[in-house]
Amino acid sequence: MLTVSLMPALAGLVAALVLGLDGGALQRVLATPGVGLSIGTSLWTGIAATVLSLLIAHFAVAAAFTGRWRTRLTALSLPLLTIPHLAIGIGLALVIAPSGLLMRLLSPGATGLERPPDWLLVQDPLGLSMIGGLVLKESCFLILILSVALAQVPATRLLQQARTLGYGPLQAWLSVVAPALQRQIRVPLAAVLVFGISNVEMAIPLGPDLPPTFSVLLWRWFTDPDAMIHAQAYTGSLLLLLINVLALVGFFTAGGAFRFFWRRESERGQRRRCEAPQRIGIGVGLTVGWVIGTLAIVALFLRAAAGAWPFPSVLPALQHGETLRDVLQSILPVARSVAGSTLLLATGTAFVTTLLILPAAEKAAHDTRLRGNIGALLFLPLLVPQMTFLFGVQVLLTRMGLDGTYAGVLWSHAIFALPYVWGIVASARSAIDPRYDAVSRTLGASTLKTYLQVSVPLLARTLLLAIALAFAVSVALYLPTLFVGAGRIATAATEAAAASGSGSSRLAAVHAMLLAAAPLAAFALAYGIAATLFRSRTGVPR
Amino acid sequence: MFAATLLACLFSHSIAASEPDLRDEPELARQAAGQTVYFNAWGGDFAINRYIDWVAGEVEKRYDIRLVHVKVTDIAEAVSRIRAEYVAGREQNGSVDLMWINGENFAAMQHANLLWGPWAEELPNSRLIDWQGNPTTRIDATLPTGGYELPWGTATFTLFYDREFVSTRVRNPDDLLCWIEAHPGRFTYPQPPAFLGTAFLKQLLILLTEDTARLQEAPGDDFQTLSAPLWAWLDRAHASMWRTGRLFPRSGPAQRELLAAGELDWMMSYNPAEASRAIRQGLLQDTVAGMVFSNAALSNSHFLAIPANASAKEGALLVANFLISPLAQIQKADEARWGDPSVLDPNLLTAEQLSVFERLHQGGATAPLPKRRVPEPHPGWSAALERAWLARYTR
Repeated sequence: MLTVSLMPALAGLVAALVLGLDGGALQRVLATPGVGLSIGTSLWTGIAATVLSLLIAHFAVAAAFTGRWRTRLTALSLPLLTIPHLAIGIGLALVIAPSGLLMRLLSPGATGLERPPDWLLVQDPLGLSMIGGLVLKESCFLILILSVALAQVPATRLLQQARTLGYGPLQAWLSVVAPALQRQIRVPLAAVLVFGISNVEMAIPLGPDLPPTFSVLLWRWFTDPDAMIHAQAYTGSLLLLLINVLALVGFFTAGGAFRFFWRRESERGQRRRCEAPQRIGIGVGLTVGWVIGTLAIVALFLRAAAGAWPFPSVLPALQHGETLRDVLQSILPVARSVAGSTLLLATGTAFVTTLLILPAAEKAAHDTRLRGNIGALLFLPLLVPQMTFLFGVQVLLTRMGLDGTYAGVLWSHAIFALPYVWGIVASARSAIDPRYDAVSRTLGASTLKTYLQVSVPLLARTLLLAIALAFAVSVALYLPTLFVGAGRIATAATEAAAASGSGSSRLAAVHAMLLAAAPLAAFALAYGIAATLFRSRTGVPR
Repeated sequence: MFAATLLACLFSHSIAASEPDLRDEPELARQAAGQTVYFNAWGGDFAINRYIDWVAGEVEKRYDIRLVHVKVTDIAEAVSRIRAEYVAGREQNGSVDLMWINGENFAAMQHANLLWGPWAEELPNSRLIDWQGNPTTRIDATLPTGGYELPWGTATFTLFYDREFVSTRVRNPDDLLCWIEAHPGRFTYPQPPAFLGTAFLKQLLILLTEDTARLQEAPGDDFQTLSAPLWAWLDRAHASMWRTGRLFPRSGPAQRELLAAGELDWMMSYNPAEASRAIRQGLLQDTVAGMVFSNAALSNSHFLAIPANASAKEGALLVANFLISPLAQIQKADEARWGDPSVLDPNLLTAEQLSVFERLHQGGATAPLPKRRVPEPHPGWSAALERAWLARYTR
């Protein structure tokens, strides 16, 4: 399993180093108009989005877990969590643009505008719209990671101790529980930062254009017919790696400093009496974010259905006697052309990764250290910008004759799905009381029988979720599909990115709709199956 | 299963290593049966994608060929992939079989000997092409195609505007600049190097430069002087353009959506029938009309080419032959489908075919024919203009 994940990633890095160390190309990279600003935008948007998402996630978890929204928080963040970045990005652009859904809802009534104003809101030079898109996704991811990390932290005990000292629940949580949680999530947080700086999924629909973010610049160079410019892409991808390393060092150093001040502030012992304003503030902020995120998904469906979408009508008018059936007839062939490949890859990835994980999870069931090490190793590829190692992966797979094949793309998808599947399967496996095993074995069952009849049913719900998660990860993957698929394998993600990259919002919306619907359906199915499987049982984790 | 399919693919490719005979259509069809043809073509437009889908259905029925439309944002992506395949030593069984290509990308591939040919003038249907009447069918941005490219559509650079908001007549760049300055935020063009953006720059350059013959040769030291009027025009226009020239739509269709949403009053296309088609399909308000710069309208043909390492050359040839058949050209010229003008010589068509062509309805938004067409400048100009544009307008 580790070979599957690490070999291509390592090979990728080595290839990137070999191909990228080129002084002439470096000079050309640095001579590109606006490259400094481009790198600056990448750093600024990545860091700002990570900091904001982290703060929001902490506040959300603190408010929810000391209040009544405990289960609702994870349930409500699930749609935004599972819908791919690209789809959220494309949808968000449709919401906040001057001719977007928000302005349509307000016009002409509240704004008095009959025509959309000329405001630079989407793809703004400061990258604010892009930061917004990243925050929508990453805060949900970090909320999930924080909730999972709660298992490793004696939260209830810490909270009670702080409460008995007279702190309000929110203050108590933020002073003692949050710092403990923070220590548990460093690795996923680093992955969020790296993704923020080096993604193209949000930068294509929402990022600025003159100049674009550095990774979008690289993405364009990779697809340039000129070999000289190609060489710039290799060198640039090494530069991107360097930028990420520096950003990580800077980020965690600053994090250390912040921790120091946070602690001093907490130790001053000031008790806040009333926490209601803070709670309301957090609630309103989260609701606004959630509503915008949901509108983004709604906007995808509206845009996909609308041929023309004249401002300021909210609902696309069915023109020229067009019926809903005509709309479907124009959309369905587009969606169908990639549905097969998308679903095949996602299903394949889900089953391959789950099958790879199960034996390893068995081995590491009662070995916390091994579990941690495997998890960290599997996570390594996510700490390297995709751009940097994917070209090497492509070279490796080309040598093996696997480029442009489903098997090759599946492999690359597995690299990205494994860490997440491991995260939930391994910890669920270790949480099963070993005495179940022991009882089964003393009753004379073989190891295999015990595994199939005791462990697997106990794990069933986790496995269903793991399958849905791997499915969702695969659906979302863009760069791996593009590079390893050699342009031959078109999925909803590659088509959505291509359409968004060429600015065609309707085409992008149709593909993004599929991107959004597939993971949601997978999770709904997983929960549905889990619920029916254990309808008549008690005590089995649902 | 994957391995089996993979092996089957490799096997079927290795059979077809010998050079296909173009004139022997039945033999070609026998060899092409069962082949998968990867057609790399721009995929940014609903209608065009649907047209290619229709073609796929037809060649499947006729020749048992599976046509896969590999949708690229810019055909340069496919050129770079082919180049990478050659670097990796893959001189056969390449991933691209047929490509929709033009200008500088054709020049780059031809220069690197990456194209297969000559084949274009030997196809059975190529005798129907208007080679004499339309010289752009043999010359792609000043480069002779030499049979390495097959023309499959013609184009004239056309501006479209919303009559409800544009009442003055625009005949030249000065008129346009006046309108832009009087209506801030309502005009823009696709961001170069998107091909329509570059086309707009070329069209302006042609109109602003007295010496159009000079543009037929590669730019040299005089690039600065010759392009100076263009930059002066753009500097002034940008200040009054959509998003004050700090953001541009990424393609022609993107700009069309902005026009449809009411953010803009203008769009542009190489296809004079673009707006008529879009109006018919409900994609654009019916107040849009087209115009060409009548004294010097930038015109060209667009082409098909086969890479030298294509895996399914027989299939690609049959698909190409079908694409220039009267049936496919009629369907393509139909504004209900794509509305792309045909490359065929009307005199060589049967009376029946001709009457179908003539019966094709032309919408009211289709631009009138220009008085004088100007062929594409040397591809060196596209590259130089794009570079200079990015250097100038990237902050």
